[in-house]
Amino acid sequence: MINSKREDKTLAYQLITFVFVITLIAFVVITTFTQILLRRHISKTQLDNMKHLAHESIYLIDGILNHVEQNLHMLCIMLSDRRFSKEEIESVISEAIQHDNSVHSITLAENIPAHQSALVFFKENGKLKVNDIKDINYFFGDWFQIPLMLKKSYWTEPWVDSQGSSELIISFSAPYERDGIGGIASYGVSLKELQSLVIDSQCMEGGNSFLISANGTLVAHDDMSLVMNHSLFSLADEHNEPKLRELGYNMIAGETGFMHITRSTMLKNSWIFYQALKSNGWSVGVSVRRDVLYKDMRILLLINVFSAIILFLVVAYIIYNRAHELTKPLRELSEAALRIGGGEFDTHIPDSDAGLEVSTLSQSFRFMQESLFDYIQSLRITTDEKDKIRGDVIYAGEVQTKLIPANTDHPFGIKDLRAYGILEPAGDVGGDLYDYFMIDEDRFCFVIADVVGTGIVAAMTMTMASTLLPSLAPFYNKSNELLRELNSFLCKTDMESNFVTALLGIINLKTGVLQYSNAGHMPLYIRKLDGEIVKRAETHSTALGVFEDLSIGFEEIRLNVGDEIIIFTDGVTEAMSREDEFFGLGGLEEVFSALHYSNPENTAKSIVSRVHDFAEGSKYKDDVTVLVIDYKHPRA
Amino acid sequence: MRFLRMTAICFAIALLLLSLPACNSKQEGKVSDFEQSESGVPNDELFVLRFRQKWHPQAQFAGIYMAIDKGFYAQYGIDLRLQPHAADSLVFRTLYNKNTDIVQMDLISGIMENKDGLRVVNIGQVSQNSSQLLIGKKNRGINSIADFNGKKIGLWCSGSHYISRIFLAKEKLDMEIVPVNWSINLFTSNAIDVTNAMRFNEYNQLLQAGLKEEDLFVADLSALGYNIPDDGFYVSNDFYNEHKDICKRFMAATMDGWHYAFAHPEEALDLVLRLMRKNNIPANRSHQSWMLNEMKMLILVPDKTPGRLTKADYLRAVSLLQEFYQPVKAYPFEEFCPND
Repeated sequence: MINSKREDKTLAYQLITFVFVITLIAFVVITTFTQILLRRHISKTQLDNMKHLAHESIYLIDGILNHVEQNLHMLCIMLSDRRFSKEEIESVISEAIQHDNSVHSITLAENIPAHQSALVFFKENGKLKVNDIKDINYFFGDWFQIPLMLKKSYWTEPWVDSQGSSELIISFSAPYERDGIGGIASYGVSLKELQSLVIDSQCMEGGNSFLISANGTLVAHDDMSLVMNHSLFSLADEHNEPKLRELGYNMIAGETGFMHITRSTMLKNSWIFYQALKSNGWSVGVSVRRDVLYKDMRILLLINVFSAIILFLVVAYIIYNRAHELTKPLRELSEAALRIGGGEFDTHIPDSDAGLEVSTLSQSFRFMQESLFDYIQSLRITTDEKDKIRGDVIYAGEVQTKLIPANTDHPFGIKDLRAYGILEPAGDVGGDLYDYFMIDEDRFCFVIADVVGTGIVAAMTMTMASTLLPSLAPFYNKSNELLRELNSFLCKTDMESNFVTALLGIINLKTGVLQYSNAGHMPLYIRKLDGEIVKRAETHSTALGVFEDLSIGFEEIRLNVGDEIIIFTDGVTEAMSREDEFFGLGGLEEVFSALHYSNPENTAKSIVSRVHDFAEGSKYKDDVTVLVIDYKHPRA
Repeated sequence: MRFLRMTAICFAIALLLLSLPACNSKQEGKVSDFEQSESGVPNDELFVLRFRQKWHPQAQFAGIYMAIDKGFYAQYGIDLRLQPHAADSLVFRTLYNKNTDIVQMDLISGIMENKDGLRVVNIGQVSQNSSQLLIGKKNRGINSIADFNGKKIGLWCSGSHYISRIFLAKEKLDMEIVPVNWSINLFTSNAIDVTNAMRFNEYNQLLQAGLKEEDLFVADLSALGYNIPDDGFYVSNDFYNEHKDICKRFMAATMDGWHYAFAHPEEALDLVLRLMRKNNIPANRSHQSWMLNEMKMLILVPDKTPGRLTKADYLRAVSLLQEFYQPVKAYPFEEFCPND
């Protein structure tokens, strides 16, 4: 079935399909490996870029914050040292405010709960301004309370400096000594400036940088609506993204690492690198969206796919044309072969220069054409001869048929007797014989015989026997004598098929006595008027034509009114079914028992019909002969 | 500095919120979910009622904002004027100075401030339970209440510290008390070991600041026998006697606002976030959603009438104050919370 399907496809189709499959497999394998390698390379490169960006932001921010830390520590040393006058300290502060762009404000707050007093130094329109706070409870501000309690420096979360420039700032505060903790000194750094250092580092396509404070609050991000409103943890809650929460824990813990966030957040489907600042525990994150990260890879993949399709189409076109050209002589040869097959043996076999194989095929076709022509010529002569012989055989069969008595209601005008015979040769001519004739006006002779073998020789033997018996009969009274003469004749002729079984009977129409001899033939049946079947299976000699001095006996039976004599050849009993079973005497007797009335024609036809039904579809065939004689009553 | 900053923000909020009733007047005639719940009066003669919040805009007050936004106060004949917020002790001062008509305070503050010649009455109770927690970090050695001993505890310097102080006294815990404002950073920076917190607010703020629930030891004061309800509405006794009906209408409209907020939480959160962002107050939806949900559990409590203070809660508060904090002038419940 597969082959038949394959045969339906043209060579070009098969070649193109093969090339397509191979190309596809090669493309998938190569592309997969290429994509994997490229992905690794791009990931490494981009992640290195992310690291670089993060490091740059961290370097810049830490630079500012470290500078602030150093300055504050210096200031605290001065504040703790009573040798420095108030004017000298304020001079240092003034210098820092006016010349250090990273310092947004400086606050000196005394630690006297009952008498709170603080000075806020800040720059406004390029000029130094000082705000003296006396009535404000600053003790609960993180910038004051936390370093006071921790007794060490502290970076605050962003807050609005309402006593300074009313901007968002972060404060670095530290206690200074003066009979215990004399107060808190605090440097304010503009959050906006820190944000710019983070946001300005978005020089990577699809990249985004963000900064979170020590408690995870987003203090710098491209999306300003998130800044100061959200922490990574609130975003994790809002978007139900545990990975974002994990990122937050890692970042506020000061860890460094990569993470991939998939769900819908501001970091949707992004790779993130994060690293903490060294100064205040804040952490910088740099994210790159995966779709941007691998954009070039997707473009490359599209180009590869497009190129592969174009290349395949070009190759397919070339294969189609070349295959079409190569198969052209084959198609011509095919057409020539069809014409030769149709009988046009003079069809021209085309020459081909398409290649050695096609040229060799043309020569083979030409040789085949010549051989076929000779063979056909020879076959034609043989067929003519065979047809002639067959015509002769058919004629012989017709002659043989004409030698058999024609079925009539009352043969030879005898009212007392009916006879009906059927002879169906297996071939054009048969080796069976039946005949009946009047020896004289009182004796009715009948015979049935079967020559071993079939074909023209057996037919000739039977033809000779059928012509011999009527001529001999008037000179003999007994059935065995007639058969003995026939045996002598057969032995003398020494023909190839002279082995004959025969049953010959003579009915004396006056006495009703049947005298018969069975020379190795099938049994004789007599069907009585009441349906009783009498079987006469005894033979009186072996078959004729073998032993010249053959001794043949005979037997006499007195026939009763309505007795039906049934004789047949072995073609009846040895008829084979499709299952290789014989019809046998049993089958024959079943036919007898099914008969309802005595009629030779009906009986003979019933037997032959059943034999036909039984042997339908069988490949074995033999001559089938049945003769039925219905004897009414003796004349006496 | 921080205080002034908050004052400035509150002033801005007040300006914004004062404009809300005017906006609502445009919604006259609009059918509310609660419009038919109480007898309404014509809108052409509104009673101007001054209400001072106890904190900046957040979902803790979502019912009031919704009542304003949906015109419930106007439907009840009230022109509610929101005033800048102040802490419990400070809002009482404004009541004392007659600079406001109605304030919101927790129950203990209401009882404690009932002095200096000014009697106040509770005209309605928002929270039916206490939301107060005391929280410590396990990695700072706090795994039980007994571990509080010898540690620093941050308590609000406003009125909401009373329950915590009663708790410390009753449990006989020796702790260094650090007055704090509202910042959670003292706790996150380990300047203090234990902090007081409202479940609806600071507790979730701590979680959103990167603290893990499993790393915290939480003492739920309401579950430990200190369940004294949080916020209620207070007016002076004189004001109440003169405007009983107005007080009732205020409470009816306010509770309608709360019911509406619970029925339409997303709308309520939109309104709260809009107010917070307009006033430059850091805000995120998940925290406000947490707060609104917690408020729902504080307001709609089984076996208690929403908006009403129970006598048992009042008596328990008085008893705890008397026994473990300081003697107070305790009026009969019927006088503290008249219901006529």
